[in-house]
Amino acid sequence: MNRLKFIKYSSILSIGGMLIPSAFLSACRKESILDDTSFTGKVIIIGAGAAGLYAGYILKSKGIDFQILEASDTYGGRLGKVEGFADYPLDLGAQWLHGQNNIIGDLIHQTNTKITLDDSDEKFWFNNQLVNTLPKDINALFTREENVPDISFKDFAIQEGFGSEYANIVENIAGDSGAAASRISAYWKITEEENWISGDEDFKFQETYFDFFDKHIVTSIREHISLNTIVNTIDYSKDKIEITDSNNLKYTADKVIIAVPITILKSSDITFTPALATSKTTAFSKIGMDAGMKVFLKFSTNFYDENIIGGSICAAYADEKIGKTGNSNVLLAFIMGDQAAHLTSLGSDSAITNALLQELDEMYDGQATASFISSYVQNWTTKPFIRGAYSYSTVGMGDARKIAAESIDKKIYFAGEAMNLNGHHQTVFGAAETGYREVMNLLNDLSS
Amino acid sequence: MKNILSILICFFCITKIHAQELKGDLSYQYMYAKQWDKAIQTYNFSRPTITNKQPLFMHGASISLSYIFKSPKHLKHGILLSYSNFYSKATNLNSSNLLVLHFMKLGYLMHYENTEKMKGLYIEAIFGANSSALYRNLNQSAFIYDDTHSKAFSIGAEASLKIGYYIKLKNNFYISPFVCFAYAPYVYSPNTEVVINQTKSLSSKNWTSILNTQIGMAFHFKNNQ
Ligand SMILES: Cc1cc2nc3c(=O)[nH]c(=O)nc-3n(C[C@H](O)[C@H](O)[C@H](O)COP(=O)(O)OP(=O)(O)OC[C@H]3O[C@@H](n4cnc5c(N)ncnc54)[C@H](O)[C@@H]3O)c2cc1C
Repeated sequence: MNRLKFIKYSSILSIGGMLIPSAFLSACRKESILDDTSFTGKVIIIGAGAAGLYAGYILKSKGIDFQILEASDTYGGRLGKVEGFADYPLDLGAQWLHGQNNIIGDLIHQTNTKITLDDSDEKFWFNNQLVNTLPKDINALFTREENVPDISFKDFAIQEGFGSEYANIVENIAGDSGAAASRISAYWKITEEENWISGDEDFKFQETYFDFFDKHIVTSIREHISLNTIVNTIDYSKDKIEITDSNNLKYTADKVIIAVPITILKSSDITFTPALATSKTTAFSKIGMDAGMKVFLKFSTNFYDENIIGGSICAAYADEKIGKTGNSNVLLAFIMGDQAAHLTSLGSDSAITNALLQELDEMYDGQATASFISSYVQNWTTKPFIRGAYSYSTVGMGDARKIAAESIDKKIYFAGEAMNLNGHHQTVFGAAETGYREVMNLLNDLSS
Repeated sequence: MKNILSILICFFCITKIHAQELKGDLSYQYMYAKQWDKAIQTYNFSRPTITNKQPLFMHGASISLSYIFKSPKHLKHGILLSYSNFYSKATNLNSSNLLVLHFMKLGYLMHYENTEKMKGLYIEAIFGANSSALYRNLNQSAFIYDDTHSKAFSIGAEASLKIGYYIKLKNNFYISPFVCFAYAPYVYSPNTEVVINQTKSLSSKNWTSILNTQIGMAFHFKNNQ
């Protein structure tokens, strides 16, 4: 072989050697997955909260037949709004976008939705006084470097030197996770905080979180939602899944995505045939969800601080006007865990309001009662299809969320904020993530 | 980056006399990183509003510098440093999402050439470490949250095989067209999905394998003494 031939052959070989595998790989690689599904069956989604709605939104985009069965008379679940109480709309459930590095943050950019950074100041109710700072930095609880024990956050705080005078501050931190400090696991709370990837800044919608979902997610799937449809039974023993509602109406589907709150799964509201495995029901029972409510208090004057942390009736008050365009003086009482359970036990909205006014009077020398106009109580604990605030991780929970979220027989899939495995439970975007995750799992199961 | 390159160029010039060969190359690079594909595919899957899909990291440009130590043997040893750049941009209504991936490689190379038997052909086996930095830009500016640019780093080990053919241009100056195949079986990249899909461990593992093929032109300064 002469030199010229050698160059020719070796370059052809080398280029071919590179281009053939590259071309082959390129052909196999697609920017989007599961687009060309041949699935012609029907998917039923149970629950029209953020997770169920987002799952529907994805199914719609893939051209798959689906129906959403919702027990209550409205969609949105723990997203809701009230208009008319103030001169701006109020969020009855989810309100803050916790960080922008998440799927909702992306959609906000794409839809040019107006949000405002909530950088309001905090005051603490500590030893019967309003103070700007606490004697000891409570954030120290989150900076411990050695292994955090899997004990309650309350016990952990005490162990770390935050005694009874900090009890309501500790309750506030647990309340952020929708839990009583005596039940949430310190280990999980701190681990989840460390793994939080969405960002630490909180944003508020100029309208409401509900409006955002309504306009950008629900619009395209509204006709697929059947309201007032309380699912009672799911029979997945045969090829087709049979669902029965409280009016004895039957629905059949090839796949079912269950997107109800964990409280509903823990109760026997929905009966499964065959019965769920013990490992599954045990996993459900290990995921916590405590009482939770929001009370909006309207006043004639703005006598209060932007945030008041550490009350014994309500550990977190927030000025609702921040981030909104309007003038109404509304103070939000954000009540979780034992405090919410206690207020619920008072039995009436007026008793709840009075208890809160009394606490605020103590903080602000009677100004609360003097300038009080009206209140709006949204008690999520007594909502029959919600029954609490949001899921939290209990002591000894282990991998309960993972087991709870596993699909059954490639037929039944579990979505909802409590089923979020990447630390975004308790949030709307976390719920949405499980919605698309389960559609992906379902389609992957079909293609395998 | 500029500083590192200038320091390296200086280093190469100073040490040129001790080298058998100094080499710089420019190449096109094709990359396949399965888990990073998954994160981008999930991003596209989960955001139906995106009509122009986010492209996968596939095509990139690469530059590298190698230093081969003097030796009378056919098999010589050397070191290599390379930099590659990949990007993925999707422009949609109100959002232009740009992912920029900077890739660095530092390796030990074994260079084999045998003028009698193989004419101008040479073969190099390279073993080394790679690392990358991935950044997200949104609407022409850095995507910032919590006061920092959204970014992810990776680190891994890789092996590659390069085949080239010397063409003499001047006394000590040669060029060589080459192809290179690289495989990194384990690249630890715990935050890549966080930057691409804003989730962690939902769609991909915290590590990936990477397959690379390269085609390019190398420029050699040979010390023939
Ligand atoms: C007071 C409060 C404040 C919050 N604040 C924030 C916040 O600021 N930011 C944030 O990101 N998140 C917040 N959250 C959490 C957020 O609202 C939830 O994580 C998210 O909305 C849950 O969505 P989901 O789809 O999982 O469940 P849900 O929204 O609860 O939806 C479940 C649906 O299932 C329906 N259902 C139940 N049983 C049945 C049945 N048998 N048959 C048919 N349908 C049934 C229910 O009616 C409901 O509509 C807050 C929650 C509360 C309660």
